[in-house]
Amino acid sequence: MRRGRGVKITALDAFILLALLGFGVFLAYRVEVGVSYHWRWEAIPKYLIRCDPSSGRWRPNLLLNGLFTTIRLSIWAALPALCIGTAAGLWRTSRSFPMRMLGGAYVELIRNIPPLVLVFIFYFFLSDQIMAALDLEERIRSSSAGTKEAFALLMAPPERLSGFISGVLTLGLYEGAYIAEIVRAGIRSVDKGQWEASQALGFSRRGQLQHVILPQAFSNILPPLAGQFISIIKDSAIVSVVSIPELTFQGMELMASTYLTFEIWITITVMYFLLGFACSLAVKRLESRMRKD
Amino acid sequence: MTFAQYVRKNKLRVRWQPWGDVLKLALTVVFCVWFFARGAGELDYNWQWRRVPRYLFSYENGQFTPGPLLLGVLVTLKASALSLVLAFAFGLSAALFRMSRSFAAGLTAKVYVEAIRNTPLLIQIFFTYFVLGPVLGIGRFTSAVLALSLFEGAYASEIIRAGIASIPAGQWEAAHSLGLSSFHTYTRVILPQAMQRVLPPLTSQGVSLIKDSSLISTIAIYDLTMQGQVIVADTFLTFEIWFTVAGVYLMMTGSLSLLAKFLDNRLKGGNAAC
Repeated sequence: MRRGRGVKITALDAFILLALLGFGVFLAYRVEVGVSYHWRWEAIPKYLIRCDPSSGRWRPNLLLNGLFTTIRLSIWAALPALCIGTAAGLWRTSRSFPMRMLGGAYVELIRNIPPLVLVFIFYFFLSDQIMAALDLEERIRSSSAGTKEAFALLMAPPERLSGFISGVLTLGLYEGAYIAEIVRAGIRSVDKGQWEASQALGFSRRGQLQHVILPQAFSNILPPLAGQFISIIKDSAIVSVVSIPELTFQGMELMASTYLTFEIWITITVMYFLLGFACSLAVKRLESRMRKD
Repeated sequence: MTFAQYVRKNKLRVRWQPWGDVLKLALTVVFCVWFFARGAGELDYNWQWRRVPRYLFSYENGQFTPGPLLLGVLVTLKASALSLVLAFAFGLSAALFRMSRSFAAGLTAKVYVEAIRNTPLLIQIFFTYFVLGPVLGIGRFTSAVLALSLFEGAYASEIIRAGIASIPAGQWEAAHSLGLSSFHTYTRVILPQAMQRVLPPLTSQGVSLIKDSSLISTIAIYDLTMQGQVIVADTFLTFEIWFTVAGVYLMMTGSLSLLAKFLDNRLKGGNAAC
């Protein structure tokens, strides 16, 4: 099935290329004549980056800020997702039936409900409940300027913090179910003999996991876990529906205010693609390196 | 590598315990309801479950009238079913393109799959609706179905490709030595066998499709999620409506998941060669 050396252009190749070209020409024709769209690409760069008039320095504007918020959101969401996922994954491989049941129920429940519905439920619940309980906003507001700035840099500015944290927790709860499955598969992938041998050596269940099973499972878990991080980035677009100012939300806002519909959505799609593609290249490298070891 | 492939590669068997799974689900539902009810109790949330049924359906004077939620279910199912058929077509063509010797076909399929897999579905829906929609002159619902099927098609193509690749080389060689053309090799020998293996993971992809179809509510298609949003905005029955909506989705995806597991077991048990 492999191609030989050199590229041979066959009739099929020519046909496909022609079809693609034809489709491209058709699209261009429709844009120019059918929609008579007035392109204004020159307006886009100023939404990516702007010059601060007071200091004369370049600052990221709406779209780049949105991208940074997306990245921040994904990285922070990976933390609760990892904790919940590891716990649920361990539960699912536990010997006790209720623990297995709990882990299984969590995973099945999350995986069978649309993320959008989960976001609505969790977000209303979390932002009302947990934020009130933690009293976080008040604490940040009364803290020093340095703390405020650190929070703004690492998470979100104080006035947006409660929304941001609810979004992070929501995303973490959702992705945790997928990580649980990865962890479970990793633990199950360790040979049965390892369990038996470590038991024969007198390890407790905890010791078995800690010293024998998990270190071996880790190399199996890492590549799919890295892949799951890409999913977190992609799924973070969903929390835009609860007004967290990440890339998708900024796109909606900008479209409503500028009507540069085509330019904005093309730009945002390209931005997401570059982010996702860079991450998946990194994951591929990680995978091949793990395989070599 | 998808999770399913990962599981298969590492020979992980998922044991299926019907009552255990049902019990698990039921207990957690109870636990979650209790947890939320407790939290909501602290919020002084006023539960008004009795107002919910009429949004599902009403039955008066022997006249059955579907409520907005049930109408939403129909839209969800319609969009999912149409997308499933289209996604299968996209997936199968992309898989065949990817496996063909043609350079342009391989590249097209690769670009398609990579572009879809590395961008969020929500962005694809917006892109299709806001950019492709006006350009191609297609409406809201068509854009949504197109976006969904392109998205699921990319994942289906990987599944189908894995299925075709799993057919032993002997089958190809035997077909060749019988003098079958490559078209007939595919349609008579390879695809029928591959489809059998591909069916269970494709059914699970159908579950994802139903779930993902909730995102089309963002372009104001009145599917189940959108109807839920409208009712919540009107009545402030936030938790009642969202729990109901989640429950209805759970019923749809749950029954399809059961079907996938059943098919998987059937194919594994029934055909030793698989």
